[in-house]
Amino acid sequence: MSEAKASTSAAGPEVVLGLRSVSKRFGRVVACDDVSLNVRAGEIRGLLGQNGAGKSTLMKIVAGFVRPEAGEIRIRGETLGFGDPVIAAERGIAMVHQHFSLVGPMPVWKNVTLSDRGHKKVDRTGTSRQIREIGQRYGLDVDPDAIVDDLAVGERQRVELLKCLRRQPDILILDEPTSVLTREESTALFGVLRRLARERGQSVVLISHELEEMLEVTDRVTVLRDGRVVSTVESAEASPDSLAQEMLGHDVTVPAEVLGLTLDEPGKAAGVPGSLPARSGVPSGHRAAVLELSDITVASAVGHKLLDGVSLDVGEGEILGVAGVAGNGQEELTGLLSNLIRPDGGEVRVEGRTIQTGRGRQLSRAGVGVIPADRHDSGCVLEMSVAENIALGSLDGMVRWGVVQQQKLHQLTQRLVGDFRIITSSLSAPLRSLSGGNQQRVVLARELARRPCVLVAAEPTQGLDIGARGYIWDRLREAAAGGTGILLLSSDLAEIMALSHRVAVINRGRIVSTMARADVDLAELGRMMGARTHDRR
Amino acid sequence: MIDNITLIVDSSVRIAATLLFAALGELVAERAGTLNISVEGAMLSSAFAAAYGSHATGSAYYGFLIGVAVGIVVSLVQANLSHRIRINQFVTGLVLNLLAIGVTSFLLAEVKMAPVQFGLVRIPGLASIPIIGDALFEQRAPFFLLYGLVPLVWWVLKRSRWGLELNAVGENPTAADANGIPVDVRRRQAIYFGGLLAGISGAYLSVGLIGAFTPNMTALRGFIAIAAVIFGGWTLSGTVAGTLLFGGAEALRVSLPALGVTITPQVLIALPYLAAIAAIAVLSQRRRQPAALGQTFGRGIS
Repeated sequence: MSEAKASTSAAGPEVVLGLRSVSKRFGRVVACDDVSLNVRAGEIRGLLGQNGAGKSTLMKIVAGFVRPEAGEIRIRGETLGFGDPVIAAERGIAMVHQHFSLVGPMPVWKNVTLSDRGHKKVDRTGTSRQIREIGQRYGLDVDPDAIVDDLAVGERQRVELLKCLRRQPDILILDEPTSVLTREESTALFGVLRRLARERGQSVVLISHELEEMLEVTDRVTVLRDGRVVSTVESAEASPDSLAQEMLGHDVTVPAEVLGLTLDEPGKAAGVPGSLPARSGVPSGHRAAVLELSDITVASAVGHKLLDGVSLDVGEGEILGVAGVAGNGQEELTGLLSNLIRPDGGEVRVEGRTIQTGRGRQLSRAGVGVIPADRHDSGCVLEMSVAENIALGSLDGMVRWGVVQQQKLHQLTQRLVGDFRIITSSLSAPLRSLSGGNQQRVVLARELARRPCVLVAAEPTQGLDIGARGYIWDRLREAAAGGTGILLLSSDLAEIMALSHRVAVINRGRIVSTMARADVDLAELGRMMGARTHDRR
Repeated sequence: MIDNITLIVDSSVRIAATLLFAALGELVAERAGTLNISVEGAMLSSAFAAAYGSHATGSAYYGFLIGVAVGIVVSLVQANLSHRIRINQFVTGLVLNLLAIGVTSFLLAEVKMAPVQFGLVRIPGLASIPIIGDALFEQRAPFFLLYGLVPLVWWVLKRSRWGLELNAVGENPTAADANGIPVDVRRRQAIYFGGLLAGISGAYLSVGLIGAFTPNMTALRGFIAIAAVIFGGWTLSGTVAGTLLFGGAEALRVSLPALGVTITPQVLIALPYLAAIAAIAVLSQRRRQPAALGQTFGRGIS
């Protein structure tokens, strides 16, 4: 690597990493669809896309952790076999994972030497010296003897980076590296990346959904959507607006009411006829709040704030849409309202009454229903029958002397299966045998059957087809019309726009903005979701 | 009085040695994240094989080696079922344990044998140290392997790359995988090591300590060895201390009546197990178990 190559040089810089028609699907979900990509020597390339756009999967394929169905990877023109991380590493590919590949109870130096293959002797002094040397060269200061579990997230990432740099990779891949970093730490990281690219001619692939940092550090940006490459642009010529538009695209399932509202003409939003279908007689702004969160703070074990002073309120019969890229605190918000997480600070009030959070059943008794984002994980029990799953939500009224009254349960289930048009072979069929859409209807039916005053719906239509999606939307609107206050958490803007009366934007555990649905400017919304700073509070 | 103490110490150490062989192997296996309950079955099978082997060859040494080989065979079955084709490791271990009881009892009824026992080896000088001399320096030959094995296990866990990788696999298999460490391969290897030592333990029991084979003669000592590892907080020194404690409890059970102390026999029989439960309840909180202990590993999607 004697010749440092200018990334924008027109004189055909060498292609270090070339992907040809790479495709990968997980079950019915297409993660990567016929992706082709060239990364040049000394280039910092951004991979931009929403969650689920296939960025991480694509790079895991390159690093050998995921085996694609079709396509070809070439390193400096030579084919790289699929699915072998050891060989990929030998060919000069190093990846800093989103979830770090560090062993917590071990000291830094052991973690660093762990990636040495073969029968190399475990050499404490040598490894420690190397850590200090590389640390000095790149400004990555880490104590080799510190236990990884005791380190802050930013420091752990430095260890991860050190591990990669030590092997002097030709291609360094970073998966959402800044999502855990402070502004200063990110700037320092970008400095390191630039030095790698400019001075050593190494190629860097940076995965992110943050527009501004993409433009700040990369030479070129490739935008992925639904597993496909949408475009590749020179960063110098791109703007956050144009990138946001490409990243979000136009969802084919967006109903007419949303399609009327284009990115180019945000002003039209207010004038779209029927954009707020009649759902509730309560005029907005005068609703009694059924759910109020004030100054909720949730911190991770290492002190990273997952929810940072979140305050919001949902009125009776109102749908408040919380827009945000997944992983910005939505999970914690759902967990909080499902009583799975105890907040470190703040207050939850339901219908004006303060609820003791973290105590089993308190929220549920107060009338808070939850449709969790991962229905298989915490929404339902797949091995149990439709009837049993429904009973899980309202056992109180159905148990006498500690015995479940089968007759009552049967009646309720029959009614709900009819009402919600759940397609199942029988009431005692295991939930596993139902389609995804019908499983979600069961969860929805269970939660709505209890007539909750607040319903938390997290990604309620994720993974469902258009029909099921429309049905669930209708039901949510209906529930709101009946007076239920709905907190809708979704990373799907089309869904947010189709349902919400008001829209809040969540970014890094903070509500950065709340606005009426009519005032939403999609481009601005996309920017706030992807923004790094919190100045807009 | 001194004689009595010497006797109890000697007996404690002899029983602890049986446990320690198995516990050293189990320690390594558990550090790799496997909970290898077939250590009991491996011990019992080895005990039988060593006894029969010594009878057939007329040599305690050959019998011992045959016993160790059988211990490794049991661990081969365990490891490949649980960490190659990924059958639940507890189910596998349970089945192997039951199988070992059945097969050894059946074979014992089929064959007549006169096992050959190792003779006592006395280290001159050292064995004359009061109280602990006999216990530590006058024992049947395989006992002295411990003086090499304890430092070896220390070195393996603290200094060797293999040990480092085992620890990584036991603490965070996903991270180990990302570092290119073959998780299941390391775990199988750790179980093989466990089988080797369970084999030594069983063979030492039959052709060393006792000089005979009786049905189900290990009497759940394999599980006590696992308890010693837990008691020791997955550290080497703790594990050694655990085996001494449980060995001591067992020795007291045997020797208290002989010393004229009268306790209900049922309480005596329960003593080592009560000691195990109490000690684990009180002491195992001190140190965390390997984070991925007992969990199977498979690469997830995305």
